[in-house]
Amino acid sequence: MSQITTEKYKDEAKRAIKNPVLQDALSNLQERLGKGAVEAYKNLPEGHRLRIEAHDIRMNAIENLDVLLKSLAENVRRNGGHVYFAEDALSAVSHCLEIARKHNVKTAVKGKSMLTEEIGLNRSLEAAGIEVVETDLGEYIVQLAGEHPSHIIAPAIHKTRKEIGKLFSEKLLIHYTDDPPALTRAARKALRDKFLAADMGISGCNLACAETGHITTVSNEGNIRMSTTLPKVHVAFMGMERVVAGLNDYDVLFRLLPRAAAAQNMATYISYIGGPCHKDQVDGPEEFHLIIIDNGRTKILADEEFREILCCIRCAACLNVCPVYRKIGGHSYGYPYCGPVGSVVTPLLVGINRAKDLCLGEMLCGACKEVCPVNIDIPKMLLGLRAKLADGDRKWNVTRASLVEKALYKTWSWLIRNRWTYDLFLRLAYFSQKFLPQKGGMIRRLPPPLHGWTGKRDILPISIETFKQRAKRINLNP
Amino acid sequence: MNFSDQNRFINNVRKALGRSPGHKSSLQEIFSIKTVDESRELYEKIKTRTSTQRQKLLSRLINESKTVNLNVICLKNATSVSTSIAGLVREKEPEWGSRKSLTAWEHPLIEKLKLTEVLADRNVPVFCSKLRNNKEAVRDRNTEKMQIRKHVIDSYIGVTSADFCIADTATLVMKTRPGQGRLVSIVPSIHIAVIELKQILGNLKELFILLQHDPKEKSEGLTNCMTFISGPSKTADIEATLVHGAHGPREVYLYVITGR
Repeated sequence: MSQITTEKYKDEAKRAIKNPVLQDALSNLQERLGKGAVEAYKNLPEGHRLRIEAHDIRMNAIENLDVLLKSLAENVRRNGGHVYFAEDALSAVSHCLEIARKHNVKTAVKGKSMLTEEIGLNRSLEAAGIEVVETDLGEYIVQLAGEHPSHIIAPAIHKTRKEIGKLFSEKLLIHYTDDPPALTRAARKALRDKFLAADMGISGCNLACAETGHITTVSNEGNIRMSTTLPKVHVAFMGMERVVAGLNDYDVLFRLLPRAAAAQNMATYISYIGGPCHKDQVDGPEEFHLIIIDNGRTKILADEEFREILCCIRCAACLNVCPVYRKIGGHSYGYPYCGPVGSVVTPLLVGINRAKDLCLGEMLCGACKEVCPVNIDIPKMLLGLRAKLADGDRKWNVTRASLVEKALYKTWSWLIRNRWTYDLFLRLAYFSQKFLPQKGGMIRRLPPPLHGWTGKRDILPISIETFKQRAKRINLNP
Repeated sequence: MNFSDQNRFINNVRKALGRSPGHKSSLQEIFSIKTVDESRELYEKIKTRTSTQRQKLLSRLINESKTVNLNVICLKNATSVSTSIAGLVREKEPEWGSRKSLTAWEHPLIEKLKLTEVLADRNVPVFCSKLRNNKEAVRDRNTEKMQIRKHVIDSYIGVTSADFCIADTATLVMKTRPGQGRLVSIVPSIHIAVIELKQILGNLKELFILLQHDPKEKSEGLTNCMTFISGPSKTADIEATLVHGAHGPREVYLYVITGR
């Protein structure tokens, strides 16, 4: 399993906000990709409507997942590939280790895959003495630095060119430079040797096709094509929800995905990979293995309130527009999945109580829903998670986050439904607020347990005149 | 093969979906049927394109190629293409070694270019990604494959054709076949693709229509690797700065033989 540090959300967020370099990088990213995605949708003939269509396609797949997975497995095997179904991270990782042992693998090259981060694949392979090389440039940088990715498609967004220059001069033994083309060339050279020497290629899977038995991979760099063609074994990891029914579904999804992810009309490389090299073909891996992973996903599937999150195609568009992500960056979320989608997926995968700050930290502005290429209602699900934290939930094993808060809201709810007591409360509050510290007509601090509201801002004092009275007065004297 | 894992896994999924024990449905039922008529119509349209319509697609392709940094060169016939390729070979220097060599697909269109002859006087060898078919070769297939692999790795230019080219996104679509390897379009520093005008399609939708309705495409299937290529390899992973040539080709040239 990947390391879970969701409990440190608040501390990490504070630290991120104080880091001016990260703040610059994040605003840059959002200005370019977030705004770019919205612009890119506009030049679609169908405009935003296409996102609704994409949602239907994905939902149709999710609601027929049993049939699709069975067909996919049959068709991959018919194409000569091997399919494993893994219920959890451990079993997925041990399948991969078994394949590696069988082929006496010394070096594995990897395309970017969030799922392999989720199951902690690299650590396990390294523990077995296998060198694992991340080949996506961003992932490679992050791996050399001994860190974790902070963005789903721009993993090294938190690092400056100077930091990368220093890192490369230390690790790749090149002369220091902070020129992105020169740094890219240095990585290109170092990784080319790895590609050529590797005996195993590892990739994720974007959206598999049940009808034909192919997985798809998407990249701009070409690292996934190298990783899945040069080594003699290809192992692909796929979250069980990453499948569609047939070829018909890709037109819509592959027009939206690159726009959402990188404001591109099309990714540089998309490959449909189905099975190993045939004996009359000149290249390609001798063996193809597909590992399909549950790891907590059936539990999400079983709950109709959250099922929709399985439509996600991990494009990261929601990260690129989220005002919270913009300030706190990807590491604060304490799990591979960050941003709005992470705030829903992570609590569902690692425990709602354990990752409660993630869904409480989002601000429900709705930007994520509007940019989502498959139109997932993330704010609705954030509210759903918050409701579970407020009331507790047996099915998800959630204990109530705060009894005091619940008691306060119960009292409040009773209070506002009784006019007489409500008026009395307002009166009392009006007079007692005079004892609170004020400045410029604003209240500076509320007493516990309400002090959280005034931690970062002042609030308006209660007026002597109620809304009802005011409405009456204005109506009488128009 | 252990199917008990699969059965348990899929049963969990069925339970999660709240399927009744007797529930049955097939993949065919899941496909959306609403598009069938529309796609037949579009298929006819693709199949009966006039040369004026094709020229229009070509202009769209040329226009779109600029966004992805793809160099499109339109020439009348194979001879002028090979002259132009010879020019590129003269002008471009290898990235990794000092010796110039090319690897090309085994493909009717590429054979017409007669690259070996054209480049012979420059002493630039042109290798073919093709397995020999005699008995001796079949016995020692692995050695032969390793040989071809080495040629591709040493080559600074890879020459392929493509099945289709999508105008709207400047995307080359290529399946894998014997003699038409996957490495030729990704490992060399420069990728050259040669197609004919009639191979240009309008958009992604047309491609999927053809794959599903054209008898030839349907019977062949996607092959074990169908790849879309839109321009040279690129990255923006360092401070979101766009750099070409991350791992794949730094430059891509697309020759379109227009026939007039």
